[in-house]
Amino acid sequence: MEDVTKTRVEQLIDYIMKNCLWQFHSRNWDRKRQNENILGMTTKLLCGEPVTPETPEDKCYWVDAFCLAEAYRERHPWLATLGVDQIRELMAKLHEQLDFQTITGSLNEELSDQHY
Amino acid sequence: MPYHEFECSKCIPERKQHAVTKGPGEDLTSCLPKGYLNTIPGSISERGCAYCGAKHVIGTPMKDVIHLSHGPIGCTYDTWQTKRYISDNGNFQLKYTFATDVREKHIVFGAEKLLKQNIIEAFQQFPDIKRMTIYQTCATALIGDDINAIAEEVMEELPDVDIFICNSPGFAGPSQSGGHHKINIAWINQKVGTVEPTITSDYVINYVGEYNIQGDQEVMQDFFKRMGIQVLSTFTGNGSYDDLRAMHKAHLNVLECARSAEYICNELRVRYGIPRLDIDGFGFEPLSQSLRKVAMFFGIQDRAEAIIAEETARWKPELDWYKERLKGKKVCLWPGGSKLWHWAHVIEEEMGLKVVSVYTKFGHQGDMEKGIARCGEDALAIDDPNELEGLEALEMLKPDIIFTGKRPGEVAKKVGVPYLNAHAYHNGPYKGYEGWVRFARDIYNAIYSPIHQLAALDISRDPIPTDKGFVTQRMLSDASLPEEIRASTTLRQYSGAYDSVTPLRDKTYPTFDSRPAAAE
Repeated sequence: MEDVTKTRVEQLIDYIMKNCLWQFHSRNWDRKRQNENILGMTTKLLCGEPVTPETPEDKCYWVDAFCLAEAYRERHPWLATLGVDQIRELMAKLHEQLDFQTITGSLNEELSDQHY
Repeated sequence: MPYHEFECSKCIPERKQHAVTKGPGEDLTSCLPKGYLNTIPGSISERGCAYCGAKHVIGTPMKDVIHLSHGPIGCTYDTWQTKRYISDNGNFQLKYTFATDVREKHIVFGAEKLLKQNIIEAFQQFPDIKRMTIYQTCATALIGDDINAIAEEVMEELPDVDIFICNSPGFAGPSQSGGHHKINIAWINQKVGTVEPTITSDYVINYVGEYNIQGDQEVMQDFFKRMGIQVLSTFTGNGSYDDLRAMHKAHLNVLECARSAEYICNELRVRYGIPRLDIDGFGFEPLSQSLRKVAMFFGIQDRAEAIIAEETARWKPELDWYKERLKGKKVCLWPGGSKLWHWAHVIEEEMGLKVVSVYTKFGHQGDMEKGIARCGEDALAIDDPNELEGLEALEMLKPDIIFTGKRPGEVAKKVGVPYLNAHAYHNGPYKGYEGWVRFARDIYNAIYSPIHQLAALDISRDPIPTDKGFVTQRMLSDASLPEEIRASTTLRQYSGAYDSVTPLRDKTYPTFDSRPAAAE
């Protein structure tokens, strides 16, 4: 990852880690679902694409995604200089890194429990 | 792994894996202590038991219930009154505690008859209370008393009563957290879905993992009511037994303390399709985001924004008065479970404090993930500490204040470190905008209390400065402040009332017309 992208991913992930709770659900499958849906919607919102949550569960993802996108726009003016493809690429790297920190590389031994 | 080994625990080598220091560049893939394991023999833990976690933390805040421990009387006494989970019905659950008073003869001959006699007697003594929770204890679990069968018998004989059985004896888990888990699952298995509620709003939530410590729940409920949201149940602070039987009818579970109550939220999602939204009720910005998210879920964001604007304008100048005087003060954030992550970042952002250590008595690795993620570099994170480790950390880190429970708090005071009660609070509530200022005020009062300067002097050893007068809080806190801050006319100290909760109980709320976009 080039230095600028790496720094930007670190900035974006730092915000999530310090201010959000949705990435820390209790099991691997929960975290995967949360990261995928919330970051997926955040990416669309940052790219100016419509997001129409249909189910109650979708609405939950959407409120977290909306607030995250707003926070990113407010704190990182450089986002406005990126094109849609660049945002998608950046968010894909962020997703990969968040999955690593909270799921695949996590040291939390309870994540793979079969029950809640 | 950046483990931290305490000098005092070198004789217990397994302890090394339970403390880490977050160094530069460390993240959760390289820096996480072990957690939620049995306490290592030789380490005198500060933990409670699984019975305590079920009864004292989660069961007893329910307000309209006879809480009966089936066991020796000490079990109920030692889980009584030490947490200030108040209620709006005269604090029935705090005033009274009940036990079957099991003795040696019952261990030999069985205690089921005794249990039945106690249940009936308790209902007779309190004829207005028709709900009961019975808590299993170690002794009665080991002799195999069938509490469920006795409860069924009583419910047949007294058809207007309802009884919940919590089978979480003290040994049923490494700490109180085992009891949190058991009572969550028992409640949804036994009681959720057995009452059909009256729905009064288009927007209906369960407020979960909130225990009304000094009125926290009532403060948050006020915000929800101002937005026209019906709080169908609160799990469990100031909560009503029958409201909690109707949890299945909410549109959204708003989860505060995930440590103690995520289990029931997860099960409500799986069994009833009710989604879970995790929130932070502490701190201006996290609370604002939380209210905003709940409102957005229902499409009523304008109502949240009005509250956020009003409350911020009213209380922010007071928070900032304290922030100016708390900047750079070092904190050991040593609560039980969830507050290590609720508070870790926001007290740095909004009060200027520096968190030098987090610990948890009964948290899981998931709590440490959240806490460590929210801490800055060099923070020392400790799982299930013992008293000697706590003292060694205080000596090493030299904090200005410690936020913890009353037992380790009293130890800290003996070595000259002021403490605030993170479990039951000093002068709460601490949730809400006003509550957050009350917390800042308590921190200020603790750090700058002149008693600490006086208490630090040992009259048998230290010279006593008889030529100096008494130093006030303001003399201490303002000594190095710039003039424009000291003389600011916009910043001000807390100006709220002594009791910020009772007036909420008589408040009237606006009514809102139904909106077509209301949740299904």
